[in-house]
Amino acid sequence: MHGSSEVASVGSMWLAAILFVITYGVVMSEKVNRAVVALVAAGLMIILGILNQEAAIRGIDFNTIGLLIGMMVIVAITRQSGIFQFLAIWAAKKVDARPWGILVMISLVTAVTSAFLDNVTTVLLVVPVTLLITEELKVKPYPYLFAMIFASNIGGTATLIGDPPNIMIGSATGLTFNDFAYHLTPAILVVLAVTLIPIYFIWGRHLKATPEDRQRVMQFNEFEAITNWRLLKQCLTVIGLVVAGFVFAHSLKLEAATVAMTGAAVLLLLANFGKGPDDQSKHVLEAFNEVEWITIFFFVGLFIVVHGVDSTGLLKLLAEKMVAMTGGNLTATAMIILWSSAILSAIIDNIPFVATMIPLIKAMAPTFGGEHGLLPLWWALSLGACLGGNGTLVGASANLVVAGFAERAGQPIRFLQYTLVAFPIMLLSILISTFYLYWRYL
Amino acid sequence: MKAKLIMNPNPMTLRPTDTVATAAERILKHHLRHLPVIDEQGRYLGTFSVYSLLKLTLPKAVLDEHGLDNVSFVTESLDDLAQRLGGRRDEPVKNWLNVHEVAHPDTLAMKIMLLMLEGRTTSVPVVDKTDGRLEGIISFWDVLEKLIGENK
Repeated sequence: MHGSSEVASVGSMWLAAILFVITYGVVMSEKVNRAVVALVAAGLMIILGILNQEAAIRGIDFNTIGLLIGMMVIVAITRQSGIFQFLAIWAAKKVDARPWGILVMISLVTAVTSAFLDNVTTVLLVVPVTLLITEELKVKPYPYLFAMIFASNIGGTATLIGDPPNIMIGSATGLTFNDFAYHLTPAILVVLAVTLIPIYFIWGRHLKATPEDRQRVMQFNEFEAITNWRLLKQCLTVIGLVVAGFVFAHSLKLEAATVAMTGAAVLLLLANFGKGPDDQSKHVLEAFNEVEWITIFFFVGLFIVVHGVDSTGLLKLLAEKMVAMTGGNLTATAMIILWSSAILSAIIDNIPFVATMIPLIKAMAPTFGGEHGLLPLWWALSLGACLGGNGTLVGASANLVVAGFAERAGQPIRFLQYTLVAFPIMLLSILISTFYLYWRYL
Repeated sequence: MKAKLIMNPNPMTLRPTDTVATAAERILKHHLRHLPVIDEQGRYLGTFSVYSLLKLTLPKAVLDEHGLDNVSFVTESLDDLAQRLGGRRDEPVKNWLNVHEVAHPDTLAMKIMLLMLEGRTTSVPVVDKTDGRLEGIISFWDVLEKLIGENK
């Protein structure tokens, strides 16, 4: 996102603010598809003269867009290999198919996978195996699904590429993959471990399965889950190279989108090598179709809308107000960002929230001694926005995907029933983040 | 030719509260593939079929349309499958119905054949347009007999 160099009048500030509030309102109402709302609002930003087209395009963070699309293509191809089912079954067998052990292992698999891949894709692939395992063990799937929601959102917070808020923050600030690993992963390990404690006391200690039922799960042959060994090897190689690319991106002077998009292109090349032209077109199209275009266009529209508001100087004004409120105190500002991000992200989509907060926090740089002084605020935003998503069923898209599976399996996750347990556990994770930020940065 | 002239007007039916065991017994005994299920007013509710029985032997997790696309890692024995079906024998059939597209008494032959082809079914329920009552059922065999009979 770029600075607010465009000169703006008070009138356009109001216009942008009204458009922005209406956009958020309509997105929250969920009456119109969110990508459509964002694109219409982006069009209006230009037509109403708040931005011209050039400025609007400058507002789109193509590094975020490229990184998202690249990773989505890589996942679309990788999932065909069956590796995710393999991991889930392998993990379950490692703990002799003991119910609580499986819950812990499935949570770990979900968290680690979500740290590198899209959370929605992760749960989409791991939930069906988990439901099969719980059915074989004759235990209730609810605690497992609950733990998976938490694990996917917690795991996603751990890395630059784990969750859209982190991708946006990293892209806007130049913080690297290694920065995220160094600053966020330690906190996330603690949060994940502590989250499992209430889950154990509420459900875990009551989970029981007979030796015969466990035996049935132990007889699963995880190697049969791999449907295409050649593809699997190609995918693992490319994912390994992409992760290495992220780690060394800074020294190689590469941006994350370049790494992800090149990785996607190489994987498309390998997976289609030697196939006929028609077959290639079919497979490439299939991979492109798996890209979540609704999310991508939502980002595009949103970036323009937020840039429009930013260009009128409104966000700078709000940042000044917030700084004045805290008296320029870094600790107070970090805490306000952490806790308000968490509570808001539990209720609204964290993507538009973070998109708005980024220019707002950037505008605080002069108060806190330049770009570097903002570091704790970025971590506060990331922890709040990502972990907050656990608070309610609508807090993150992955939650809704899990709820969909639960519903179809005849074990629906009720909104209130979920919130009553999830919201306090989410607050616990924010409390841990508070201590972590305070101890390490403030 | 219209549906009412092809259909079997007295098909064997089930009530929604009949058990899976009852349905299975009839399917086996009479070698039927589809049993229409009707309520007390005779209205068509859905069909319990041999496919319902197949579903009953499988874990629910593999039936989800967004679920597992590969189950070759599950090494269940025939005993395990039989046990699952056995465990569900007292469930009412209403939980396991397929609702097929229906024909009406005046639906024409070609439409009926298309319903069979597109619905991947060998039997089409014939239902009254206004009150939804089951009037009869047309099996693949009914159609075939009429076809070959007329071409002779």
